[in-house]
Amino acid sequence: MLSALVWIPVVGAIAILLLPQARAAQWARSIALGVAGVALLLTLILSFEFDPAAVAPQFAERIPWIEPLGLNYTLGMDGLAFPLIWLNSVLTLVAIFATRIDIERPRLYYPLILFLSTGAAGAFLAQNLLLFFLFYEIEIVPLYFLIAIWGGGRRGYAAMKFLIYTAVSGILVLTAFLGLVWASGAKTFDYEPLLQQHLPIDLQLILLITLLLGVFIKIPIFPFHTWLPDAHVEASTAVSVLLAGVLLKLGTYALIKFGVGLFFQAWVILAPGLAILATISALYGAFSAIAQQDMKKVVAYSSIAHMAYILLAASASTPLSMTAAIFQMVSHGLISALLFLLVGVVYKKTGTRDVHVLQGLLNPERGLPITGSLMIVGVMASAGLPGMVGFIAEFMVFRSTFPIFTVATLLCLVGTGLTAVYFLLMINRVFFGRLPDALATIPKVAFRDHLPSFVLTVLLIIFGLQPSWVVRWSETQATNFVVSPALRQTEIYSAPALAIPLPSLTP
Amino acid sequence: MVDFLFATTWLIPIYGLMGAILTLPWSLGIIRRTGPRPAAYLNILMTLLSFVHGSVAFAAVWTQGNIHLVWPWLQVADLNLTLTIDLSPISLGALEMVTGISLLVQIYALGYMEKDASLARFYGLMGLFEAALGGIAISDSLLLSYMLLEILTLSTYLLVGFWYAQPLVVTAARDAFLTKRVGDIILLMGIVALSSYGEGLDFSQLETWAESSTLPPLAAALLGLSLIAGPTGKCAQFPLNLWLDEAMEGPNPAGIMRNSVVVSAGAYVLIKLQPVFTLSPISEDVLILLGTMTAIGASLMAIAQIDIKRTMSHSTSAYLGLVFIAVGLGQVDIAFLLLFTHAVAKALLFMSLGSIILTTSNQNITEMGGLWSRMPATTTGYLVGAAGLITLFPLGEFWTMRRWLNGTWDVPLWLLGVIVIVNILNAMNLTRVFRLVFLGKPQAKTRRAPEVQWPMALPLVMMTVITIIAAIVPMQWPFWLSPYPPLDVASNAIAPWALPILMASGGIGILIGLKLNLQRTTARPTQVYLRFFQDLFAYDFYVERLYKITVVNGVAALSQIAVWFDRYIVDGVVNLVGLATIFGGSTLKYNASGQSQFYILTILLGVGALLWLIFTGQWTLVTEFWSTLGKSV
Repeated sequence: MLSALVWIPVVGAIAILLLPQARAAQWARSIALGVAGVALLLTLILSFEFDPAAVAPQFAERIPWIEPLGLNYTLGMDGLAFPLIWLNSVLTLVAIFATRIDIERPRLYYPLILFLSTGAAGAFLAQNLLLFFLFYEIEIVPLYFLIAIWGGGRRGYAAMKFLIYTAVSGILVLTAFLGLVWASGAKTFDYEPLLQQHLPIDLQLILLITLLLGVFIKIPIFPFHTWLPDAHVEASTAVSVLLAGVLLKLGTYALIKFGVGLFFQAWVILAPGLAILATISALYGAFSAIAQQDMKKVVAYSSIAHMAYILLAASASTPLSMTAAIFQMVSHGLISALLFLLVGVVYKKTGTRDVHVLQGLLNPERGLPITGSLMIVGVMASAGLPGMVGFIAEFMVFRSTFPIFTVATLLCLVGTGLTAVYFLLMINRVFFGRLPDALATIPKVAFRDHLPSFVLTVLLIIFGLQPSWVVRWSETQATNFVVSPALRQTEIYSAPALAIPLPSLTP
Repeated sequence: MVDFLFATTWLIPIYGLMGAILTLPWSLGIIRRTGPRPAAYLNILMTLLSFVHGSVAFAAVWTQGNIHLVWPWLQVADLNLTLTIDLSPISLGALEMVTGISLLVQIYALGYMEKDASLARFYGLMGLFEAALGGIAISDSLLLSYMLLEILTLSTYLLVGFWYAQPLVVTAARDAFLTKRVGDIILLMGIVALSSYGEGLDFSQLETWAESSTLPPLAAALLGLSLIAGPTGKCAQFPLNLWLDEAMEGPNPAGIMRNSVVVSAGAYVLIKLQPVFTLSPISEDVLILLGTMTAIGASLMAIAQIDIKRTMSHSTSAYLGLVFIAVGLGQVDIAFLLLFTHAVAKALLFMSLGSIILTTSNQNITEMGGLWSRMPATTTGYLVGAAGLITLFPLGEFWTMRRWLNGTWDVPLWLLGVIVIVNILNAMNLTRVFRLVFLGKPQAKTRRAPEVQWPMALPLVMMTVITIIAAIVPMQWPFWLSPYPPLDVASNAIAPWALPILMASGGIGILIGLKLNLQRTTARPTQVYLRFFQDLFAYDFYVERLYKITVVNGVAALSQIAVWFDRYIVDGVVNLVGLATIFGGSTLKYNASGQSQFYILTILLGVGALLWLIFTGQWTLVTEFWSTLGKSV
């Protein structure tokens, strides 16, 4: 079942690659849509069978592959992967749908998008460290080409920067994995047995820091973030949607699954530092976003700020904060995907994303009123307006971290307030005011351009009103991370995690 | 039937929301053939429904007793969020007030917004407004109230920004949202803290928690301050007061709602939070301080304004300042009565102002005059509204003040002073505006000014009647919130002569207003000190410049620093590494000389090194290093 989820996009990709040149333009898109639809359907079917109360990975598949290396093909879905798989399936379909119909070289473009989906799904489902690493690395390749071929003016620079950064990230993650397995003397890289590791604490710290450096590049956390705004600005809309919505989540997924899951003792020691780093990253992203001129850069920096909340929640390491971290991943995935889609529509219709050029786009007759309205909704969701998913996800994050890292939480709340500042400045400049004559000839937006945004908006509101529909899938698993067997035997696990003391005023 | 309607009272806010959603086909341009009118009618119908439904429930609640509804919303780990609704005489009374004023305003808007192409969008936003306000009225959970206050912030933003093509509107909408947001974020901090300490976020739970709480004084003070911040923004209190003034750029019907019930929503939540403020004397003092500063400061600002809406919007802040003081003193019943009488009178005043603005297409009061004979209903509305606002027998404010000062509550002397000053200043301002707008000779813009048409006149007249009979509320039901009558301070020294003084102060204010030398053409006095004060008040005590110097510049500077740091330090280091790599690569390329001898030499050296490692036993060192790491566990 899970293999199907991973490999169906590959089959689809190969089918598109084999299309005759003459037919490619017509068929490639339909095949890609069909494949993504099947993957989504499969995810839906899996959801009926998925048991949110179970702790062990479900639908497990295990095929011995390269035994001497300890590399096995082990897949399984747990409560952490489940919402992310959904995110991947939905956003892949959205991204394909949002692609221009007349995209150049469709026979290459759509397979690359599908490979991207495979890479993400495989990484989320892998229960073997090396297998995870393989998928984590594989996904870089299609993304590099997607930016380098279909990107904007400085695409070469952006793609190369992305490639170097994420390759380094991969090497660091691999180093941490190798160190863990060799040092613990495990025979395989399978995830489950490694939960029992008993490495000395200083070695654990070294390995964890190596791993963290790797995933911080991916998430990205300050000061490893500069590849992201460049990549977003140069990438096309669909690629930005996938990059922000799914691929960044690989970083936070690894953070929780391997950082918290495998090195909990060391994690608790590093946690205060991580909370401070998260705060810096959140405020830095927010302040940088205020001064940006390019709409996409605003959204990209806001992405950095909002991803930092996941690190904040994870560093608190309570059952609630872990659930909040997972929820925030879903929330950020949906919101940033929506914002990138809408910026994409504006760019497609006006040819620019410069906030000083655009003005008055809400004009009902000649502007982009529906895009503007949806943008206001998306922006408000990002700013944490209640009734939408951003509010409750962030509320859970802050509520869970407040007793443990009080000052950090309050500063991050300031960051949330700044979200409203930079997005409102953007909305005010771009959509309010008088439509200048230079923009008076914007082509009409077809309904199909807005369809993906509508779908995401509806999801935002539904999950905002019914957060338990997302949260219930991952609660057990999230609790399990902080109360996992590895640390029950250890003594270090005590006060900071579960007891909720009256907060002191220092972090 | 009544039972069923009573049991489903919680649906009432949803009517407004449904009305808002129903306007979408028109505002999105899916239905164009009919024009936007049907959307307006649908919304008025939904509001009428909620008003009727609310009235039935309001009548029933007195006999049937309170109902407490709890929805479990989210349960994760140790977090248990519930949304609670409380149906009691007070909450249903507030709901009745919201739906009633909303109904009148929406009928009024039919006339006021008649020529606006985006009528459907306006009614959609009004529906959202009404839904959020109605929800706050019946909510018994701080979390739910916060959520609805935020929706209110959003709809204020959208309503103020309704005519988004005008430059002043753009800044006004932005400032309204951001100013309120500052308060809301700090409030959210308080809620997060309360949720971590307490047992729940319901107001009743907070009350019991506050009674037995052992919070350290500093934490209690900070908590109290954070909870004050939200209503400070919502009620336009210093230092978050300027948005209300700027928000006057929005359509007037929304202004009626904003100045009467929307600002009251913030104070309503504040009143419900009062038990938490008792935890810390500091938060109570801050409430009183903010309230006093705003009450006097905003009243002073109002007397220098020449924009007809701004003359009144500042007095809204001033009266809510009195509410803040009452809450700070723990006199929540008085706070509630003040809110009620102010909201009714202010709604009437703004309806009257709206009629003038629409008829004269002008907001500058120095260009008006002589409207009294041309617009009798509007003039009556203004007079009744003004009389309802200052302590004048027999209208609402008189009875409210009588309740406050008759010795039932402990009223210190300074408070009497504050009330007297506010009363004098507002009486003066209202008289000044009345003279400029309604008396004197008609000017160019007021010469041809017929009375407004019936969709506006009808709600105006109805509101006039309501303002007159609203005095019944403070007369009949002085205690809404306290289960027992508060301390009986009959020996209070100021009680016998407080009310007469207050009434006299109103008279003095009117007299000053009448005697004031009003120049229509050049409103600048010649004396230097008068000019100084006029500028000081007209520019709102330069609070805006204060914002600019502190918060706005601070954020701008920090963001510039962040961007500079990002571009030159973080990215600079990255690019330097890139450059170094390229440089290294270019240097190493001389190794690729193309001579096979050189390659063979390199290979031999490498293989030799490997062999040396293996044969001399160095290799085991490498493998042992890793295995020792494992063994050392």
